[in-house]
Amino acid sequence: MKRVLTVIVGVGVLVLGGMIIYAWEPAIPKVPLPEASRFSQAQISRGKMLAGIGNCSTCHTNEASRPNAGGLSIPTPFGTLYTPNIAPDPQTGIGHWSEAAFIRAMREGVDREGEHLFPAFPYTHFTKVKDEDLTALYAYLITHKPVEYEPPANTLRFPYNIRMLQAGWKVLFFDDSPWKDVDGKSDAWNRGAYLAEGLGHCAACHSPRNQFGAEQTDASYAGAMVDQWYAPALDKQHEAPVDWTMDESFDYLRTGGSALHGVAVGSMADVVHAGLAWASGQDIEALATYLGEIGGAGSTSEAMQKAKTLISKAHRETDADMTHGGRIFAAACVACHYNDSRRPNTIRPDLALNSTVTLKSPDNLIRVVLDGVSVKGGLPGVMMPGFGHALNDNDIADLLAFLRRTHNNEPPWPNLAQRVAQLRNETNVNSDDATE
Amino acid sequence: MDIQFELNGKSVQVDVPEDTPLLWAIRDHLGLTGTKFGCGIGMCGACTVHVNGRATRSCITPVSAVANSAVTTIEGIDPSHPLQAAWIKAQAPQCGYCQPGQIMQAVNLLEDFPDPSDEQINAVMSGNLCRCMAYIRIKEAIKLAAGEMQKEKADG
Amino acid sequence: MGKLSRFIDSSKTGKDTESRQLTRRQFLVGAAGAGLTLAFARPGMAFASPGDAIAAGAYEPTIWYQIQRDGRIVINIAEAEMGQHIGTALARIVADELEADWSLVELNYVDSDPKWDLMVTGGSWSVWQDFTPMSHAGAAGRIALIEEGARLMGVSSSRCQARNSQVIAGNKSISYGEIVSRGHISRTFSDDELKKLPVKKPSERRLIGHEAEALDIPDKISGASVYGIDASIENMVYARPLVPPTRHGASVKQVDDSKAKQVDGYIRTLVLDDPSDTVPGWAVVIANSFHAANRAASQVKVDWQPGKTSDVSEQQILDHGEKLIGDATKGALVVDEPGVDDAFSHADSVLEQDYVTHSVLHFQMEPVNALAFEKDGTWEIHTGNQWQSLAIPVLAKALDVDQSKIVMRTYMLGGGFGRRLNGDYTVPAALAAKALGRPVKLVFTREDDARFDSIRSPSNQKVRMAFDAEGQVIGMEHHATAGWPTQVMAPFFMPKAKNGEKYDPFAIQGAAHWYSVGAHRLRAISNDLANATFRPGWLRSVGSGWVNFALESFMDEAAHKLGKDPIDFRLGLLKAEGKNAGSAPNAVGGASRQANVLRRVKELSGWGTNQPSDTGLGVATSYGQERDMPTWTACVTKVRVDRETGRVHLLRLSVVTDAGTIVHPDGAWAQVQGASLWGASMALHEGTQIAAGQVKDTNLNTYTPMRMGDVPVIDVEFIDSSETSMGLGEPATTVAGPAIANAIFNAVGVRLRSLPIRAEDVHKALNT
Repeated sequence: MKRVLTVIVGVGVLVLGGMIIYAWEPAIPKVPLPEASRFSQAQISRGKMLAGIGNCSTCHTNEASRPNAGGLSIPTPFGTLYTPNIAPDPQTGIGHWSEAAFIRAMREGVDREGEHLFPAFPYTHFTKVKDEDLTALYAYLITHKPVEYEPPANTLRFPYNIRMLQAGWKVLFFDDSPWKDVDGKSDAWNRGAYLAEGLGHCAACHSPRNQFGAEQTDASYAGAMVDQWYAPALDKQHEAPVDWTMDESFDYLRTGGSALHGVAVGSMADVVHAGLAWASGQDIEALATYLGEIGGAGSTSEAMQKAKTLISKAHRETDADMTHGGRIFAAACVACHYNDSRRPNTIRPDLALNSTVTLKSPDNLIRVVLDGVSVKGGLPGVMMPGFGHALNDNDIADLLAFLRRTHNNEPPWPNLAQRVAQLRNETNVNSDDATE
Repeated sequence: MDIQFELNGKSVQVDVPEDTPLLWAIRDHLGLTGTKFGCGIGMCGACTVHVNGRATRSCITPVSAVANSAVTTIEGIDPSHPLQAAWIKAQAPQCGYCQPGQIMQAVNLLEDFPDPSDEQINAVMSGNLCRCMAYIRIKEAIKLAAGEMQKEKADG
Repeated sequence: MGKLSRFIDSSKTGKDTESRQLTRRQFLVGAAGAGLTLAFARPGMAFASPGDAIAAGAYEPTIWYQIQRDGRIVINIAEAEMGQHIGTALARIVADELEADWSLVELNYVDSDPKWDLMVTGGSWSVWQDFTPMSHAGAAGRIALIEEGARLMGVSSSRCQARNSQVIAGNKSISYGEIVSRGHISRTFSDDELKKLPVKKPSERRLIGHEAEALDIPDKISGASVYGIDASIENMVYARPLVPPTRHGASVKQVDDSKAKQVDGYIRTLVLDDPSDTVPGWAVVIANSFHAANRAASQVKVDWQPGKTSDVSEQQILDHGEKLIGDATKGALVVDEPGVDDAFSHADSVLEQDYVTHSVLHFQMEPVNALAFEKDGTWEIHTGNQWQSLAIPVLAKALDVDQSKIVMRTYMLGGGFGRRLNGDYTVPAALAAKALGRPVKLVFTREDDARFDSIRSPSNQKVRMAFDAEGQVIGMEHHATAGWPTQVMAPFFMPKAKNGEKYDPFAIQGAAHWYSVGAHRLRAISNDLANATFRPGWLRSVGSGWVNFALESFMDEAAHKLGKDPIDFRLGLLKAEGKNAGSAPNAVGGASRQANVLRRVKELSGWGTNQPSDTGLGVATSYGQERDMPTWTACVTKVRVDRETGRVHLLRLSVVTDAGTIVHPDGAWAQVQGASLWGASMALHEGTQIAAGQVKDTNLNTYTPMRMGDVPVIDVEFIDSSETSMGLGEPATTVAGPAIANAIFNAVGVRLRSLPIRAEDVHKALNT
């Protein structure tokens, strides 16, 4: 008995030892902050463009006055993470990181000191990024403005706070194979795929994750909740009432809005306006080409026809439905959201074409109604005021039920008023002064 | 806190709490009273102004939301705008209280729908309540202005 | 509202209602300041010259104007401008007789002044009341200018005529401005002279009846018009009221403002002590901006001792009304002709129906507000108001000062509709300013405004008609009860009915109809529970709003009972004979003019043509509010009813009006159109209820007045007439509701006897 136990313990120690050895990564020595002159201006510019496509600042900038200095909280099922400082401050940021350390972090998810990074940092995608692109990115980040700022410490629960366990996670979920163009696909498609799957890490938000927080590879682009917003599906089962076309994808990624879909809100607004804004038109086209194939892009004429049918139907059903919700829609929404069914206008997002109304969850729509869309979100300069202080839970619930009833064919959302109240609490929009 | 934005083409700054509705910032702090308070919940349209050129209900828009944006009120509308002449020609206003908001909304209407149908006018203007029920003349004025603007365009 | 105003005047002067007309008065033309002033002298005051009298302000506030040296003609308007373009209408009457150049005419809306004891505007009355004096004022000015112009030109005045602000003699001419600059006019016209002044024949009029742009419109389009809510003064603070749970009898037990203290800009919360008892149990939150007052108000906790009506519901008020109607000893017999009981006891058949209308909010676009402060010993109240003379005594009591120490400054009204006849909203502003010793601008939020509204009271009515064996009408009874605005706010005006009971004439007006129905009895009963629960309001057309719903729905039911066409049935009863013959000047033609508008609307509306399924036409008519100021109105509506949902689509509204001479046709058209849509809105889109002592709907999320998309096709037509001008602002309000109910019956065969008519009600009626 005792011997058996000894053997088990012995094997255990060996496994653990092996794991530690496997998991162990060396620290990469500090280097002095590289001189900007080490990099060409072209490299830095290219890096800036790539940082945009990779949306580094969306997660790594919590306050505009502290670019890239991190501190953004990322709530996860395992606790809260705070993004690190990736500005080149030597003490609090990556100022002492060598290019090799940077590339290892991007490719392998290991920081300069050898600690495993959590996969909230999408190294699982960044591992596909080509060497010259990583070098350019490094050049951009390391020559950017240093910001001295120590983000708050993570508050992960045990055992998730043991970074070493990430090594095991990697064994199970991390495919570190480099990017390879797919034969038989166009250059644009391959460029789009490289950007989307690599630096762009689209799937990181738009795919559901398993219980260990890993993207479900069999459900890539099937849609997922991120940061209290639902990132809609981009695959062929997408929720958009009208199939995406290349033109609409392009408009959306370039301007933040598509006439046949709607505008970018939540963190997607940052993706477009604080990220993709740096990308070239060609790269946006490439992304649209690739994403178009994933989503089963149709022809523009088909999409216009479908949109026309949907808008006309919504007009008819709206006219016939003068319930409480319908009256609110007429008084508060239609002035901006009404369209000629033949010519939907991007600046007047049509709710018959908008996935917020077709999604399984009403959350995105509730949040937009409560908080509105800022001048920086959606189409730049165009804002929607929030109605959180104006309408009570019941008003919003009736309005949403009306939209669901008249603007598409999906089943009613249950318990809407309660959900509005919950999201109000979470987003701090009190109805104190909303009308009775 | 100090919030800066552009009002009728001039840069202005107001020192008010950031949740102050744009309406009250414009009326009480910047002294332009053409923009009216009606319902306070964005459903009567009397407070309509343009934010970056788009009709927006200023009573539910916090002033902080328009920082660095361009705001236009009725006082900033070109007096020679065809809508102004059409409004006179149709003798649209009765008590007049809702009219600045009606006009601000109508400016966008004619930008988006240069030759608007009845249905389009009804829809876009449905957020602007007129308690005197001067709706028929408001609609008439919109059509007059649309005709005038089409003519101007055709005349180049 | 006309009668009310006349009463105020006669109650003070002790003279009959004709005293408002131009009798026993002199007209003064004299230099004062920089121009020539033309005004009616106030009776009982003697001055050496017209100039002295004018300088002393001893003239009537209602009608006076000035001609400046540069030729501008400033016509002073003592009426509230609330959308009726009253200034333009009145100015055109003066200017026509004055032979003025219309482009030189300007309006000045005057403030109240202690020396003027009467200021009230009920929209439908102004033109009717002022037409003759205004004409005389213009004509007297013209004569004086011609005389002086002739003198200056050295010609005989008999050779001169006036045209376009010029006095012309052959090829010589002189402008009015020049006459005023160079001349020395000092002229008094006696009452007799005024009466003999040559006044134009209708065919000679150059302004009256012709199209004109309203003078108040340009500023309303540019945002330059100044409404009460735009008033401001240095050093003022902002206030938002904390409206107690009951309108009457509430008191504040405790105020906890600890949380409000964290609101930036919050100053304090005042509990008001109101000697006038206008706002019992009120507190106001004071701050340095309206936003701060608003924010702080949501954080102040007030513990109230509510009044007795904190549990009252709409249904209780209506149940109480039903009981009152059932008790024959209650109320005032406004009409009680002999033989009513006899007619019913000998009737071959009797038709009896009950009708109900629910509470309605004014919901004028500009929430009530007031700026109040004391300056040099005088209290200034800056606000839009329709009845300064009613508000000032109340303010005097509240502030404990003499009425002569209060001035109400005049502003544009962002909608009146009768709400601003009741100036109760000025009291909390004044009290707060007094308590703080600095100017206070009190602004009601929309919710505060609704909770403090003087709503249109819910009403109950019972109508009965007796028929003989041939189907002839031989008797009629109409019983109506509601909250009575005049009893609550102006009880000094309660005429006595036949049985000696005092009553509110506005709460029953419209029911003393011009149908010949044999013996007629009309009983008005005050609903004391309504009066105790809220302050019933005068709302556009007041009682006729509910009275005519019952009357005209019932006339339709009677026609259907007899198997007659509803228009033919009415025409058969509108005979200009006996008491319905009518008399000059106001009611000349009597019932025949009502029959005439009915016949015209019948043609206009396509009455009798085949309609698609579930579509029908309905008719209603009215003489307006008062038998001695009848505005003959007839309306046909066309509706389509959606049987599945019960929703009523109003497709078309045709209105024909005979209001005598139309002074400002464009304005008249707008008034009738707006009024008829108001009626339709109240019938199909509005209506609220009392719940727990207050109105249930306080903002547009649940109170849903008609919007642009709800507007039907409208035909508005006026009968071409040169008879005396009648009021226009209200009568069309009263016909749309019953016409819609009657159209629904014709469309789908169900009878709705309650306003508003909701889709659910129609649906239910269709399925029972």
